Amino acid sequence: MQMSGMNSQIEELRDRIIAILPRLRRFARSLSGNAHDADDLVQITVERALGRIEQLRADSQLAAWLFGILRNAWIDEGRSRHRREPLHLPAELAENVGDPAIGSQAELLSVQDALARLPDEQRLAVSVVLIEGFSYKEAAEIMNVPVGTLTSRLARGRKALQEMLSEPAQVRQ
Amino acid sequence: MSLSDEVLMAYVDDELDAQGRIEVEAAMAADSDVARRVGEHRALRARVRSAFDPVLDEPVPARLLDVVRTAPATATAPAQARVVPRTARDVRTRSLPRWAALAASVLVGILAGRFAFHGGGPGVIATRNGQMMASGVLADALTSQLAVQQRVGQPVHIGVSFRAKSGEYCRTFSMRAPAVTGLACHAAKGWRLQVLSGAGRVAADAGNYRQAASSLPPAVVAAVTDEISGDPLDARAERLARNRGWQP
Repeated sequence: MQMSGMNSQIEELRDRIIAILPRLRRFARSLSGNAHDADDLVQITVERALGRIEQLRADSQLAAWLFGILRNAWIDEGRSRHRREPLHLPAELAENVGDPAIGSQAELLSVQDALARLPDEQRLAVSVVLIEGFSYKEAAEIMNVPVGTLTSRLARGRKALQEMLSEPAQVRQ
Repeated sequence: MSLSDEVLMAYVDDELDAQGRIEVEAAMAADSDVARRVGEHRALRARVRSAFDPVLDEPVPARLLDVVRTAPATATAPAQARVVPRTARDVRTRSLPRWAALAASVLVGILAGRFAFHGGGPGVIATRNGQMMASGVLADALTSQLAVQQRVGQPVHIGVSFRAKSGEYCRTFSMRAPAVTGLACHAAKGWRLQVLSGAGRVAADAGNYRQAASSLPPAVVAAVTDEISGDPLDARAERLARNRGWQP
């Protein structure tokens, strides 16, 4: 009886992971910017999570725990891959964002492109708090940093986004 | 009083205590510049979030669902004994209705082979605790496809939908490749395959793809007869049930 209880616990956990999959996909997408790489990250996350399910401390922590694993997987795999690939826009153009001459031609940056240009740590902070809606405390745990570090990365990330996403003519007056 | 950007951000992120909130709100009321800055932080938060929200509405790729269902879990769960992998049999005999235990053990075994060996794309059947669950395109169709809106050439054809005596919603379906007909009922963990039959022929001419009750194989008809409570769902009831996620 105990055995079947255990098994059903794991089965229930699998179902709860399935319920979190859409959010994991969104999180991965915001980090990697590429749907295929993002789903690879989710897959790695799920495999790692199930492979060490005993490390899950409390069931209520499942989402934050999975996000933390995804963040680590991104650091291990996604981020290095990302570095090898050019961003959506070449660097020269990126430096000219906000130049009215170019801004009038190139449309406003999309949120996705702007996010992709943030330094990794800022992107992570923005994604975990603004997109995924975790509290500062949870976000700091997911990122494995003190809360103060999280909030300063978050503030810098927000400022940079705000600038990139403003009307081209208003940027860098 | 001047409030830092970090405090205003924390306000927008709902991270301030009651005292902090009162201070920010007082500052917003007194100073339109503070109100404007809060508005900007709020707008940015909403904008960033809404840029990624569409991902939530995308169907989750079958490969990810398969990984969640099949990836090996470690042997221990929180503060409990070791898990010994359970054989398929002990669950099947306990969870399936009695009629199915007789028919299905043979039928499902044979047909699972047919599903499994059907080459190409991701599987349309997954085993969970010894139960056969719909997966891939079959699961997708059972969840979202309405009988009245079907097009020729879709991989799965939905037949009758009805409410079972257990309260669950059940639907008959047929597929051309692999060529099977069956009955699936919506359980907490997805679509459980109650019965599968290779005998059911969906009209063989490739274009015409209809499933009249009379074309259902006897094993499926028997299962429906056994399970159904009341009449099959009409188009409206079918849509309502789908929109509610097939929750009883």
